[in-house]
Amino acid sequence: MSENIFITGMGIISAIGNTVDETLHSLKEGKTGIEKIKYLKTLHKDQFVVGEVKLSNEELIDIAGIGKYNRTTLLGYIAAKEALNNAKVTDMKGGRTGFISSTTVAGMCASELLYKDFFEGINNENFIDSHFSGVSTNDIAKLLGINEYVTTISTACSSAANAIMLGARLIKNNILDRVVVGGVDPLSKFTLNGFNTLMILDKEWCKPFDENRKGLNIGEGAAYVILESEAFVLKNNKKPLAQLIGYGNANDAFHQTASSPEGHGALLAMQKAFKVANISPSKIDYINAHGTGTPNNDLSEGAAMQTIFENKVPKFSSTKAFTGHTLAAAGGIEAVISILAIQNNMIFPSLNRSTQMIDLTITPVDTLETNVPINYVLSNSFGFGGNCSSLIFSKN
Amino acid sequence: MAIFINGSACISHFNTLDGNYFFEDMSTTPTSNQLNATVPDYKEYIQPVNLLRRMSHVVKMGVSAALQSIKNSETDKVDAIIVGTGIGCSEDTDKFLRSLIENNEELLTPTSFIQSTHNTVAGQIALMIKCYGYNFTYVHQNLSFEYAMLDAMMLLNDKEETNVLVGGIDETTNSLFQLFNGAGHIKNIEELEPVWTAKNKGYVLGEGASLFNLNQVKSSGTYSEIKGIKCLQKVENPVVLIETTKKFLSGLNLNLTDIDLVLSGNCGDALMDKKITEFNNAINLPIGYFKNLCGEYFTSSGFAVWLASQIIKKQQIPQAILSNPTAFKKLNHILIVNHYHDQEYSLICISAC
Repeated sequence: MSENIFITGMGIISAIGNTVDETLHSLKEGKTGIEKIKYLKTLHKDQFVVGEVKLSNEELIDIAGIGKYNRTTLLGYIAAKEALNNAKVTDMKGGRTGFISSTTVAGMCASELLYKDFFEGINNENFIDSHFSGVSTNDIAKLLGINEYVTTISTACSSAANAIMLGARLIKNNILDRVVVGGVDPLSKFTLNGFNTLMILDKEWCKPFDENRKGLNIGEGAAYVILESEAFVLKNNKKPLAQLIGYGNANDAFHQTASSPEGHGALLAMQKAFKVANISPSKIDYINAHGTGTPNNDLSEGAAMQTIFENKVPKFSSTKAFTGHTLAAAGGIEAVISILAIQNNMIFPSLNRSTQMIDLTITPVDTLETNVPINYVLSNSFGFGGNCSSLIFSKN
Repeated sequence: MAIFINGSACISHFNTLDGNYFFEDMSTTPTSNQLNATVPDYKEYIQPVNLLRRMSHVVKMGVSAALQSIKNSETDKVDAIIVGTGIGCSEDTDKFLRSLIENNEELLTPTSFIQSTHNTVAGQIALMIKCYGYNFTYVHQNLSFEYAMLDAMMLLNDKEETNVLVGGIDETTNSLFQLFNGAGHIKNIEELEPVWTAKNKGYVLGEGASLFNLNQVKSSGTYSEIKGIKCLQKVENPVVLIETTKKFLSGLNLNLTDIDLVLSGNCGDALMDKKITEFNNAINLPIGYFKNLCGEYFTSSGFAVWLASQIIKKQQIPQAILSNPTAFKKLNHILIVNHYHDQEYSLICISAC
């Protein structure tokens, strides 16, 4: 049970780039991907800014080269494939390999356009074959040749963090040698309108941890990392990118959509992650916060950080002003950004912030910091239903 | 170390929440092609009334079965909650989506969106029993329940948690019925017959909530032991299924001949059931057909685990699942073999303890 978990590859596609390299470039340049809606066909086209992947479905089909699939499967496949290439995995032989994906939107991006037709008897079979959550996971797993342990998690906006955590546990339990973990969510009218009814969308660029923050910007994307056991890394003489040393999952049990003001669930998730990592909070060099930019999240999360770090909160930022809130994919996208921080000794800033939050004593990093030794990163992901998860990454 | 089912509760088409009921009134032919759940008086489980009013069908089923399972387990402490659901909150998803389309993205209200997320049931259970622990929702179609169970077993084996609440829940709605029917998957009402004699297309659509309290320490009311679970992404032919089953059982130190009853997941669609029927014919063991009672739905294997536990505890088999009513000696080991649309398969072994 003491075995180390190594990260040997990563892949990402989001509003700030279609690859890991493009993502790093945008982060260094302080270039947000949040813009006016271009691809999603919605009445609110000119009303909101969102973090869209800058590719149409047709362009995604060309890039993925796997045939005609919906946006969920295409985004997921592109990111998972990049992660496997990055880890130099060419086939699934020689080890027990799993695929754990996560999503909240699943096939909704396509179903919402065809729903009326389905009831008029048009393409009914298509609904059954594409709508449900496991479909894109199974399709991607088949395309990648993975059939050992293939499953899908949906814990709202903490989904991908939980997929990563499950992957680590499966390796520690000697059930798998290697596992592709992460999540995918495309933009959909369903989620855009849903968050709009909750009145937690900022019509302008979101401002995480700003006193005058008004809400989040929805984003889309996919990100996966490859986790491998220590024995497997040694056997194959791999050079890992980083390690996953801690993870924690807890429930806030406060309200279906709102977080408790003191961030009880967030605190529990972080405490559990530190216990698994067996390090003290003072070791953390950078926190990639959940930081959605909603009044409720940033206050609750900030309060929990002040508690666990006993008011000596390390440098932190939310990168959601770059990517938008990518829902189920967020924990995967921010895992990749956390590893980029470790690899490049950089802290990527919280954009758009100008006014200190009155109820918190802490302030996020506002401008890119370089040459900062980053050995330990904490990444938080929280969601509806009280789901809270924290991950801790470390340099090798 | 062994893992025991100390608590269990099931909402299904029949009054299965009543621990004394055991399908005595059920004939071998289903009465409808849509088996809606028989629901309890929810006020006995969910208070206050305005909380109950806000909850959708699947949330009410899941929460009530969870609370009943906790009660049956003679514990009030739950460390972790894991839910598997193939479809999730279908009623609220349908409601929000219809109103989005009909009102052209205007004048929408948040309630159905809030409750449409797949983790609503697990979140509501946590909220109601104030469980701050591990909370997970699996949404992997017909293997959602199996993966939830595997996770629960891993938590217990690791000693991460001691009392895990785990279950499978799925609801059917009129919209879903229409969609499955339109795709040609629903059995014609005129063609209803026991799943084992079915020669034509389609199945009976079901729904339900099956919740369990798992622990490594037995209680006075322990139902059964959960020996093992195996998920199969694909099964090429019946021979592979037999070989995989033998291997699965030998990993549990069992042989096929140790199995006293197989609960087979035939759905009643002759083509989809082809492999599992050949498997059943080849293994020469007593077969019970659980979907004759619960219909076909993504987490029907949750119903099968509940049924297996009841059979072991009562040492009695409902006649309505047997093609050949037989006399049974002691029922020690039950093997559940399930599939959905002849795609993913699963094997589960439940034993007396």
